[in-house]
Amino acid sequence: MKLLFDRVFDGAGEMLAMAEKEIAAATAELGEAAPISMPNTAYSLACHNAYLGKQIRNVSELARGFSEAKEWASGERRLGGAFNAGFATFMAAEAIEACKYARSPDPYGGEYHGHMSDAEVRELGVPLVTGDIPGFVVIIGSAPSDEEAVELIRGYQSRAIFVFLIGGIIGQARRQNLNMGFPVRVVAVGPDIWCAAHIISFVNRAAMIFGAVKPGDREAFDHYTFHRIRAFVNAFRPVPDIVVASGGGAIAMGFPVVTDDAADMWPVPKSLIIQQNTADFIETSLEARDIKIKVSKIDIPVAYSTAFEGEIVRRADMRADMDGSRSDCFELVVSKEAHEIEDHSIELIGPDIDEAEPGARTSIGFVCEVAGKAMQSDFEPVFERKFHNFINCVEGVMHTGQRDTIHIRVSKAAFDAGFRARHFGEVLYAKVKSEYESVVDKCAVKIYTVPEQLKELRAKATEIYNRRDERLGSLTDESVDVFYDCILCQSFSPAHVCIVTPERLGLCGAVSWLDAKATNELDANGPCQRVSKQRVVDENIGIWEDVNERVREASHGSLEQVTLYSIMVDPMTSCGCFECICGIEPFSNGVVIVNREHDGMTPLGMTFSEMASMTGGGVQTPGFMGHGKQFISSAKFMKAEGGPARIVWMPKALKETVGAKLNGTAARLYGIDDFVSMIADETVTEDAEALLEFLGGSGHPVLGMEPLL
Amino acid sequence: MDNSAKANMTPNPTSNLAPNLTTVEQMEADAAKLKELACAACAETWDDRRASQQPQCVFGESGICCRICSMGPCRITKKASRGICGADAHAIAGRHYLRMAAAGSAAHSDHGREIAHVLHMASPDGNYRVRDEQKLLRLAAEWGVETEGRDIYDVAREVSEIGLAEYGKPFGKLRFLSRATKERQELWERTGVSPRAIDREIAASLHMTTMGNTADPEALVRQSLRVGMADGWGGSMMGTEFTDILFGTPTARATESNLGVLEKDMVNIIVHGHDPAFSEMVVLAAETKELADYARSKGAKGINIAGLCCTANEVTMRHGVRMAGNFLQQENALLTGAVEMICVDVQCIFPALAALAGCFHTKFVTTSPIARIPGSIYVEFRPETAMEQAMQLVREAVGNFENRDAAKVFIPASKQAAVVGYPNEQIIRELDGVTNSHVDARGSYAPAIDSIKAGVLRGAVAMVGCNNPKVRPDYSHIEIMKELLGNDVLIVASGCSAQAAAKAGLMSREARFICGAGLRRVCELVGIPPVLHMGACVDISRMMLLVNEIADDWGVDVTQLPIVGCAPEWMSEKAVAIANYVVATGIDTYLGIEPQVKGSERMMELITEGTRKITGAGYVINTDPRELAAAILAGIEAKRAALGI
Repeated sequence: MKLLFDRVFDGAGEMLAMAEKEIAAATAELGEAAPISMPNTAYSLACHNAYLGKQIRNVSELARGFSEAKEWASGERRLGGAFNAGFATFMAAEAIEACKYARSPDPYGGEYHGHMSDAEVRELGVPLVTGDIPGFVVIIGSAPSDEEAVELIRGYQSRAIFVFLIGGIIGQARRQNLNMGFPVRVVAVGPDIWCAAHIISFVNRAAMIFGAVKPGDREAFDHYTFHRIRAFVNAFRPVPDIVVASGGGAIAMGFPVVTDDAADMWPVPKSLIIQQNTADFIETSLEARDIKIKVSKIDIPVAYSTAFEGEIVRRADMRADMDGSRSDCFELVVSKEAHEIEDHSIELIGPDIDEAEPGARTSIGFVCEVAGKAMQSDFEPVFERKFHNFINCVEGVMHTGQRDTIHIRVSKAAFDAGFRARHFGEVLYAKVKSEYESVVDKCAVKIYTVPEQLKELRAKATEIYNRRDERLGSLTDESVDVFYDCILCQSFSPAHVCIVTPERLGLCGAVSWLDAKATNELDANGPCQRVSKQRVVDENIGIWEDVNERVREASHGSLEQVTLYSIMVDPMTSCGCFECICGIEPFSNGVVIVNREHDGMTPLGMTFSEMASMTGGGVQTPGFMGHGKQFISSAKFMKAEGGPARIVWMPKALKETVGAKLNGTAARLYGIDDFVSMIADETVTEDAEALLEFLGGSGHPVLGMEPLL
Repeated sequence: MDNSAKANMTPNPTSNLAPNLTTVEQMEADAAKLKELACAACAETWDDRRASQQPQCVFGESGICCRICSMGPCRITKKASRGICGADAHAIAGRHYLRMAAAGSAAHSDHGREIAHVLHMASPDGNYRVRDEQKLLRLAAEWGVETEGRDIYDVAREVSEIGLAEYGKPFGKLRFLSRATKERQELWERTGVSPRAIDREIAASLHMTTMGNTADPEALVRQSLRVGMADGWGGSMMGTEFTDILFGTPTARATESNLGVLEKDMVNIIVHGHDPAFSEMVVLAAETKELADYARSKGAKGINIAGLCCTANEVTMRHGVRMAGNFLQQENALLTGAVEMICVDVQCIFPALAALAGCFHTKFVTTSPIARIPGSIYVEFRPETAMEQAMQLVREAVGNFENRDAAKVFIPASKQAAVVGYPNEQIIRELDGVTNSHVDARGSYAPAIDSIKAGVLRGAVAMVGCNNPKVRPDYSHIEIMKELLGNDVLIVASGCSAQAAAKAGLMSREARFICGAGLRRVCELVGIPPVLHMGACVDISRMMLLVNEIADDWGVDVTQLPIVGCAPEWMSEKAVAIANYVVATGIDTYLGIEPQVKGSERMMELITEGTRKITGAGYVINTDPRELAAAILAGIEAKRAALGI
């Protein structure tokens, strides 16, 4: 039998030889000075960056990086030598891919996903920490049959495992018409093993973004991926040496490889597992990587998994369409006395989906009644806001919006599988009961579909929404006795801690003060703890000794002090999964805010990714701060520096999202009408000088404010 | 949030993962400070006596001074190649060598016999009970003892009687031999290495070497293997088995090691020696509320028991009792001036402790008729009254607290965290943790074997043996271990070697950071330290079973495995017995101290190469620890190559 390490060294040699050829070709064709970069990332070639601590900017640097990478494959017959050869394989693979991107910004033309953007990495931050994505699988090669390929992928999807595909299985999935793409968490990365570099780049960027791991600190990368990234590999036979070498790198990172190829293969516990029964790949792999899937058994005829959360049901595929912007639709949680509720009662009041014409627009309303000794009315909106997520995880069902702006589509496939209106009730019942089990003792769901009745009920619901908004509006940082911290992200970003206040929600946008309060009630020792606010140091800038104490403790001593209302003095840190980042714009003395979805340039000369890379991982960077979208319209947004009046530029789409509230805040704080129109966006300019000109023209208040620096 | 992530909330370490190990230099600095105190107290220590012994007798060291009969002493020189009776250098060195092995075998085996007697008198309401019934029942089944419907203590008595019969049975071979692989059993039978009754092999060895008997060095070496076998596969193995039955089979637990475990504000009692029967009682007595209250009434914060030598290994594995140190630490412990009582049983006890204790308030208590020492307080331990005796001694130690002279107290701060207690059963449990239920069976060594075959682990080394002032104390142990760990070689350790590892910090889980990537990964996945504590020197029998079980699971003979033994600082006759049974078991043994036979080329050849023709294994001797480590690694790689891995 050929020795395992020899297979790794030979495979690394093959990849290196291929990279050498590609680099030589790129040099001849494009020249040494030709730029090398990957799109939408601030981390250059992330594998090179991670392992060598070097940013590769052009072809000649790539060639120099290659000579270093080659030294990593020295062939030392120890596992350490094999691991290093694995990393050399990844760098060589990245070099091969980089040469493609040097020739074209989109070398795969939509056929394969190829490189993943920083925004895509950051997008996964929240689902990873919440466990909504319990892990990643990289599937390499072709399954024994097309049917088995799809069965495997769907098996992972139904367990919410994120799936990356490389090689033959992509064609197999296409032949079976499997819906693929980043939103459904099945990514066809590329046709060849060197495309694995994109996945390793993705993972290494997660370490830099969330873990603040320093480029070049290989030990720290290994430690981070081993302990925090629940990834693993499934490799179908035949597994050639070049895949074995890549597997060596994966195992070094802590990602076990499961294969059905027993030829010249050496099993290693929890690392390299030979499973000749491919039907058992999933369970074998999950056990190998210690992934425990939370089972939520829901009585519906289609699959239920967070993997379907991003699924889009197109008009052509839809059987039912319920659109709150066109008809009366709503969702509502109300608390009741326990005796008023029959647990698990699901009542459909009105016609079912099958009674309407296919594709016809109908209406729907959900009233979810809950009761429990520890239930508080403040939790109602917390549960209600999760309906979007709960319903979206149904395969073949799409849900957007909230309250009375919901829009729901049911696909033909889901309908054909037997999905009907009452199944919404089953989903809501099961999720509310399981997610909030310590406060919800009983739960019942009423589903309304009669338009006249819905009109009446919607009006009543609106009254409740308004009352809640008043209550929320009255919740200010001053009016409450406690804040909460949130360390949910510490599984990925171990030094970061959020302080959540009524006027400042968590920077991920997912945890409001009420959410944190509910989380604390649900689990007193959980990720959200009460933080008292008795020892005021400076209320204007937002310093409390209680907060500092908590931050010191929760960050394991890596942070001494944070201010809640300043971005210049000890700003709050971020994990990396923030919705927006703001950074100071020195010419105007204002700040530029950019949201994760925007991949264009900003007047700072930096993209979202580049700005985001300035902070994150629990590091304080004065002048840059990650935050949630809702924080923009808060009166506490950089209050110490003068508040939201400092905002000088935002992407248009973000302006639309937060505009109304921001205008309200500006009117209240500064007496300015239509403040948002004074803020520039990408349609106005992406240039700092032009920005200053625009601000002068629009009469932006920032021009009369104190310098920031 | 997934649990594994939750469990690991500490921020990412950077590259600087080097664990905080204690170096030999730091240990020597502590010892030097204590030595200053010794001088102030006019106390003499081993290094003074060693200096007075220089130069040591070359004839003795070379094994060619014969004083077996009163015609002698005779010594072999260039002029005189034979003794008066005609014995040549080979006969004289060979006889000494066999006598050392026989004495060592006697020591371990008599210890085993003592434990067998304790098991025999165990009762449900007595001082000694059966703690591991399963192990007793397994042994009963192995020995064909009826267990169905019987009182467990009846079973215990019958099993112990059978065990005791192993010492003097007139016919047959030792029962435990059947635990070895088929290949080993056949080889032992074929080569005449299978031992008969334990006492018979010891007596035969003494008989063979008395005046006018065997002069053939080959026969002497063969009998050395056999009398060694009577130890490793006889007395020692019985000692281990019965100790587990009486006091529980050890499981992994946390403890600390080095002189820093002595407590300034507490009554410090040290248990020292090898036989845990009495020290177990001392540990239990110290835990009673009555004595703890008494200690507080005397102004102490409590009672602190610490162990020395193999008694420490025994009680730490079962109670987590902290370890003050190994063989050459025994005087240092008293030099701290903070020890109220040192209570010893058998083996490796310096007679010098009596005079040294006299320089302080320390009470030196001997408890065994096997180890009577002038100047000590002698309290003969009897199993029937053990608990009362232990209570009385602890009470006296507490009473002695007020006599401590604060001016004489110096406790070095050095101590290291350690995880100890990895007998075979625990190793299997740990390995089960990395199996995959969809492809692997549980309850085997397969995960370790697969790791070795794939090259993730290069092999394993059993580090054993004593301290010896002929080399820097602990230096060889620690340096060799570091070198092996760095090369992905897993270590199992016992006796003073285990203690050296613990003092250095090599038994902490953090020690994985000095290992090669392969061993480190294994430690991370399995959750073990890279040096596994298997027990006292008597527990090297566990290692013999371990290696045979691995060979069985692998399907090869023991000699083919990339697993070897190493005793870099050995000094005791027990070590000679051990080395012989390890070699007889088919395991190459690397020695850092030369056996006292080098006056005979023939003997040197026999112990390094000759035994290979008999058992497939032999000694490799090198007094330079770096060269010895290199030889071990080369030996392991050669075995790998032969296996095609």
